[in-house]
Amino acid sequence: MQTTYLTRIATILFGLLIGLGAAGGACAKTQVTVHKNPKSGMLSWTATDDGLSIKLVQLLPDFVRAVYAKHNLPAKQYNEVAGYCDFGTILRNTSGKTLKYDVRDWRAVASGGAVGRVKPKSEWVAEWRKAGIHYTWTLFPDSGTFYAGDWQQGFTTIKLPHGTRFDLILKWKIDGVMHSGRIHNMQCAPDVTKGQ
Amino acid sequence: MKQRHLILSSFLLILSCLGTARAEQALGHDLAPLPKPTPAPAFTLQDGDGNSVSLADYKGKVVLLNFWGTWCPPCRHEMPSIERVYKDLHKKGFVVLAINQTETPDDVFIFTSQLSVTPTFKILYDKKSAVAGKYGVVGLPTSILIDKHGMMRYRAIGGRDFNSPKVEKQISSLIKEK
Repeated sequence: MQTTYLTRIATILFGLLIGLGAAGGACAKTQVTVHKNPKSGMLSWTATDDGLSIKLVQLLPDFVRAVYAKHNLPAKQYNEVAGYCDFGTILRNTSGKTLKYDVRDWRAVASGGAVGRVKPKSEWVAEWRKAGIHYTWTLFPDSGTFYAGDWQQGFTTIKLPHGTRFDLILKWKIDGVMHSGRIHNMQCAPDVTKGQ
Repeated sequence: MKQRHLILSSFLLILSCLGTARAEQALGHDLAPLPKPTPAPAFTLQDGDGNSVSLADYKGKVVLLNFWGTWCPPCRHEMPSIERVYKDLHKKGFVVLAINQTETPDDVFIFTSQLSVTPTFKILYDKKSAVAGKYGVVGLPTSILIDKHGMMRYRAIGGRDFNSPKVEKQISSLIKEK
């Protein structure tokens, strides 16, 4: 009697677990949830893995243009950023230890095999400096050392065409030990001004 | 026995999944102690009235530097909690210098007038982010807690609830130090 009862509870709990997995990837390595903003239609991916949580939100090129225009960047510069595959990014250290990351270690592998790199903030800032622009904020920092509880947000810029589907491969270190994870089937925001 | 184990494992996995999802959205509740305290770089900036304010003016006090911008969502989110902890502790020797990045007093005035809690601590203007550069700040918000001897002791990258008991305790412990 008791055995049957326990079996039922176990079945229900496993069903719930599978449900959570279906909603957001299993609670295993690189657990991913995908969310569609009902108002904007933009997609976001939230991934958790060994000591790291990252959320990447699609950004429309026009939104990116508006943000940098507000900060008085000239059209040439904000159009260049908007021409990349951009994501609003929130990275959080959930390890309780020291987390280090460097976006130069990350890669976007497109479905056709093309590999896009994340253009580091320092490269954008160097180009802007040459044009006499001193604004350095909003972009996600190249690299960071996050102590327990630290987190950061900003725009990441990937050199892939708008609308491209790709897997994002992430690397980070926890107390000096390298970890990696993969977020499957992400997609760059469309460029709606071009009718994509 | 196996089934009990199965149930317990399932519960733990579910709780772990849900806990991770919640942690994603919450502001942090403590500051990270710096492994090696180092002297805080000196600086002088102007406040909204054009008065020069130097870090050296606050020697002997515990100082929270908060690097921020009005366009930065977590900066906006955490600011009322900074005001609350400042109100609780400023008479005991706690100072807040909120160092705005690249904006003007007019931009900041529009922002602060929209807050439910109006900041009474000092807001300084780092127009070319030179002071942020001196402190190695690459993302906003970043906060640094400096002890009475001018040494950087705690740091927070990303938004925090400064009014949390743990942060208040961290600040109070520095105030009590000789």
